[in-house]
Amino acid sequence: MKTLQTMTLTLAALAALAAAGVARADNERLAVFTKNQTNPYFQAVRLGTEAASRQMKATVTHYVPTKPDSIPEQMSQIEDVIVKKPDAIVFIPVDYKAMAPGVQKINTAKIPVVNVTDRSEVGAFVSFVGASDYDLGKETARALFKAMGGKGNVIGIEGVKGSLTNIDRQRGMRDALKDFPNIKLLASQPGNYQRLQALQVMENLMQSYPQIDGVFAANDAMASGAIEAMEAANRKALVVGINGTKEAIDAINAGKMLATGDYNGFLQGCLGTMAALRSLRGQPVPKEIVLPAAVIDKANAARHAVPVEQRSCPRWEDAVKG
Amino acid sequence: MHDAVTAAPAPNFLERLQRAGSAGGAAIVLLVLFAVFALAGRNFLTPGNLVNIAMQSTILLLLALPMTLIILTEGLDLSMGAVLTLCNVVLALVAVKTGALAPALAAALAVGLAFGLLNGTLVAALRIPPFVATLGTLGVAQGLALVVTDGQSVVGIPDAVQQMNSGLWFGLLPPPIAIAALAYLAMHLLLYQTRFGAYVFALGGNREALTLAGIHARGNLIAVYVLGGLMAGLAALLLTARINAGHPTAAIGMEFDAIAAVAVGGTSFERGKGWLLGTVLGVLAVGVLRNGLNLMSVPSSVQVSAIGVLVIVALLIDAFRGDRR
Amino acid sequence: MTAASLDLNRGPLAHLSQGTRSVVYRLLAMALIAAAMSFASEAFLTSNNLLNVLRQASLLFLLASGLTLVILTAGLDLSVGANVALSACLAATVIKGTGSVALGVAAGLGAGSLVGLANGLLVTLLRIPPFIATYGMLWILHGVTYWFMKGETIHGFPPAFRAVGSGYWLGVPIPVYVMLLFLAAGIVFAQRTTWGQEIYAIGANPEAARLSGVPVRRRLVLVYVASGAMAGLASLIFLARLNSAEGDIGETLTLPAIAAVLIGGTSLFGGVGSMLGTLVGAVILTLVLNFMNLLTINANWQPLVTGVIVVLAVFLDNLTRKGDSR
Repeated sequence: MKTLQTMTLTLAALAALAAAGVARADNERLAVFTKNQTNPYFQAVRLGTEAASRQMKATVTHYVPTKPDSIPEQMSQIEDVIVKKPDAIVFIPVDYKAMAPGVQKINTAKIPVVNVTDRSEVGAFVSFVGASDYDLGKETARALFKAMGGKGNVIGIEGVKGSLTNIDRQRGMRDALKDFPNIKLLASQPGNYQRLQALQVMENLMQSYPQIDGVFAANDAMASGAIEAMEAANRKALVVGINGTKEAIDAINAGKMLATGDYNGFLQGCLGTMAALRSLRGQPVPKEIVLPAAVIDKANAARHAVPVEQRSCPRWEDAVKG
Repeated sequence: MHDAVTAAPAPNFLERLQRAGSAGGAAIVLLVLFAVFALAGRNFLTPGNLVNIAMQSTILLLLALPMTLIILTEGLDLSMGAVLTLCNVVLALVAVKTGALAPALAAALAVGLAFGLLNGTLVAALRIPPFVATLGTLGVAQGLALVVTDGQSVVGIPDAVQQMNSGLWFGLLPPPIAIAALAYLAMHLLLYQTRFGAYVFALGGNREALTLAGIHARGNLIAVYVLGGLMAGLAALLLTARINAGHPTAAIGMEFDAIAAVAVGGTSFERGKGWLLGTVLGVLAVGVLRNGLNLMSVPSSVQVSAIGVLVIVALLIDAFRGDRR
Repeated sequence: MTAASLDLNRGPLAHLSQGTRSVVYRLLAMALIAAAMSFASEAFLTSNNLLNVLRQASLLFLLASGLTLVILTAGLDLSVGANVALSACLAATVIKGTGSVALGVAAGLGAGSLVGLANGLLVTLLRIPPFIATYGMLWILHGVTYWFMKGETIHGFPPAFRAVGSGYWLGVPIPVYVMLLFLAAGIVFAQRTTWGQEIYAIGANPEAARLSGVPVRRRLVLVYVASGAMAGLASLIFLARLNSAEGDIGETLTLPAIAAVLIGGTSLFGGVGSMLGTLVGAVILTLVLNFMNLLTINANWQPLVTGVIVVLAVFLDNLTRKGDSR
């Protein structure tokens, strides 16, 4: 009797395992949409999606507009991709408001889609994977203000005016400012997330303001531009950026930059891909995965020194709580 | 004194081909692209995909059609993309405010008309070279679009406008394709069947004869640019419906695509030679190329280069067929 | 043959006195603008600010100088911005890969010139209109750049190299010296050498030039190579100044470079214009943008203002250029 029971149980267990194996189909085809080919952040996201897909035995194809950040072009790419019927889509909208019709087309075509980085206003997503730009802005700004000893003059260099990341980061910075009454925000000008523009803005602002103690740049490229401008003029200030690029980490180690907010594109790419694949394989996926805000400074820079190309994705269980 | 220009009958098809000078380039390129993509994958030749290509090309076509006329007059309109963008923003704002299509479209057309008049006046009355004049108005339109929206999208577009991108007109054609087809027909008639069209050809090929004959060259030249502005306003309707928003950088740079499409289609920058149908082929060639490359999952960087190669190859074909002296 | 003969004595020299007048007007305009600015903003007249303006204008001028030669022949080069991106990224890759700045510089200049050569051949041999040829080239260059940069940044160059972009000598930014050097070279070339005179002649009347024995095709290739080479040079200085290379450097440089040439009085129809004019045009453009930055005028207004200045400059030119039926 016992043998029969054991055998039945074993058979049942084997059957369950087999069923689970069948549900775990491999070689899913994913389509990944990013904004442009030149911003290293999106390259990090793409590398993250590739690393995750390798680990989970799926394939990704990238779709990037030939005209950077072009709304009509991303729309056309969505239409073209729907024709090819990928198994799932990992999607960074070029504009978080204007891409709504595109997302609706994906939803109508019943292709599961994960939203990454820029939270789209409209649409049914399997999950949203991103960072809280608000928290990042706030924490990075606090790091700057604390290092300034709570007093002094600060200037801000902003990102692209209409982009959600910029809006939230500025909000975070301004809220952090409220806790430091002795710090004065002299000016805040747009640098469009561009290095050269930030450099020129910094040069001009240095003319108008002889005393600048801190610079809050909404991304690392602009922080680098500001640093270059100051070095050329033999001036110094504490500079923070956001992104956590290798360039920023090198600058932090060299003492040129104070800190950078860890906006981990690679990790977002990993998790977005994993979320899409897990959803296809019938595994649970939380509705949103917001990475905690972390600030990289000299003390912890060593941990982030691995170049993006060599990184591998963390395990899902480690990265996602609950 | 009866002008020799208007005494000539409207050109027949053969003469039009001659005038085209070299529309063969676009047709050959289009055929080759079709063949390559059809063979490369099973998704390309499906009716759904072909309709997509057509839908994706309508906005560019609406710009490229008047651009053909402008180039026939040995001119250029670099401001079209920026004006389209401004019209898109204006249309979106008015549509959100009023919740209706008609006032929004009227506003967009008005803006387009205004810029068309501005361009035409600068070129025809103040004798500023078209490149310079429209470079200037490009800046004005782009600046206004940015300032009015402060870089942000305008959303909340009412259904009346959104509907322009869905459904079927006459039970047959999606509205954008229907509008593009109507626009083509209208331009065709305008260019080949009216005196105005004859003047357009003459403005490019033989402007002195025109003025000597007492024809109001200035007025006609202004009209050509006004046409461009109006079409930009109309295209704004399609653009707003397509992206369901107004955005200050939505169509920046599209004029260069339009100019390239016109050139690929066989219209030459000098001597008033050109072919309207060629422009359609040129626009389709670009649309087919992009779509086909996307379907083949070709990396974006290669796509970017391919577009440049397409433009150059199309004109090379013309050159080899000996159509350029 | 008198109708077709080319009077080299009359061509550029006549233009010179017309040209001198044109440059003088522009210098006056520049002075007026500067005066207005010094009233409106006290930060303007500081030596730091003026040196910054000069540095920025130098970079713009270097890019626009080769372009001037192209436009003098009634041609156009829309690919200069993309050329800057490609050359800078290539130079950066070589410097990082080989550790040699000299090799990187050679790579940058070489790439820029090769692109110019390709443009020249497209225009002369294959008879493709310059607008289209350089526009197609623009796309090809961007594609190549994106492909080998893979969306990454190359940063961190030797201090000696960076000094060329951001350093000073005798209190003046180094790019200004480079600018002066090429200004002098450009003026000498355009006004004093046969080649320069031939370029003006080609722009004024290509048929007459050809019939007078000017090797039109070779000169056209030359001007496009010059435009490409200057783009290569400008890209190196940008690289030095920014201390990094990304795929989208230079994307926003083409139209301002063309604007500088036009504001400087060079006519799109060819045959009229000068290097000095282009320099003044570059300075005027940079001054106005600097003005707007100092007054913290919303950057959204910049394209509008640039556009208006270009049209104004050409319009005023038309008024003062009597008897020119073009």
